[in-house]
Amino acid sequence: MRYVKWSIIVLFWALVAAFLHYTLPQHDIARISDTYEKRIDPGENSLFWSNAATGETLNVTGRDVFFIQTRLNDDDVMVYRNEDTGWGWPPYFKFDTANLQAEAADLRSTAAAPQWVVIRHYGWRNEFLSVYPNVVSLRPVDGPDVRIIPWLNIILLTLLVAVVWALYVRWRRFRQARIDPVLDDMGDNLDEAGGRLKGFFRRKG
Amino acid sequence: MLALLRLLGIGFVVLTVIYAALSLWSRRVRRRKLEAEWDEAQGPGGRAAFVEAGLAEYDQSLRRKLILGVYVVPLCLIGLIVYLTNFH
Repeated sequence: MRYVKWSIIVLFWALVAAFLHYTLPQHDIARISDTYEKRIDPGENSLFWSNAATGETLNVTGRDVFFIQTRLNDDDVMVYRNEDTGWGWPPYFKFDTANLQAEAADLRSTAAAPQWVVIRHYGWRNEFLSVYPNVVSLRPVDGPDVRIIPWLNIILLTLLVAVVWALYVRWRRFRQARIDPVLDDMGDNLDEAGGRLKGFFRRKG
Repeated sequence: MLALLRLLGIGFVVLTVIYAALSLWSRRVRRRKLEAEWDEAQGPGGRAAFVEAGLAEYDQSLRRKLILGVYVVPLCLIGLIVYLTNFH
């Protein structure tokens, strides 16, 4: 029973961590090598494609998606998608996909004369599922070693912990004041009932 | 447009639940404070009347209207994020 309990607890927190890791913004420093546009028909991986209703019809199976090809400052390659999130989840309220693609195309550079950019994105890259992180914004920077402090994540995670803690403390207090006494009472009654029952059988025997 | 309506609809329902819970909680805290105040001073007037008068004052107060921030703050946040993401 203890293993089941701990498995569920670990699974729960792993899901919470994965959700936050997918949803919260992250920054990469990269050099944009090219941009392209490709038709995508989301299938099993449709959870990882945004399907924002920003004016166009949703009654189509496939659509064209912008992509941005980059080389990161640690020399790996990374490909991002560039999609509207619209009014849906995650709440980046991104509608400027086409403008962002124009910016990205403008910032292309070669390895010989690199133009480094900070890419703010959310999401994961997964080759097996054809999943790409979604770019939220871009800005040019001087070099590949600029220091980025994720203020938004610091504030959001602090607030989240504070809210969860506040609710947990109140729930614990409520349980101690209202539920535990009732359960104790029930336990006492059961003990008494058990005693009476035992006495009953003893008398019989 | 439908997506915006859906966001506003779900948001309104969730925020209304929070608003109602906060209102009830805040009023109860106020009532407890008034009762404690009366118990300490043993006056003025009757206990129930004192508490009722205090709560009537609370109903008119700015503190109660501040709970409307439950609706206002998320709307402002959405506006701010839309601006920062798309036009900044």
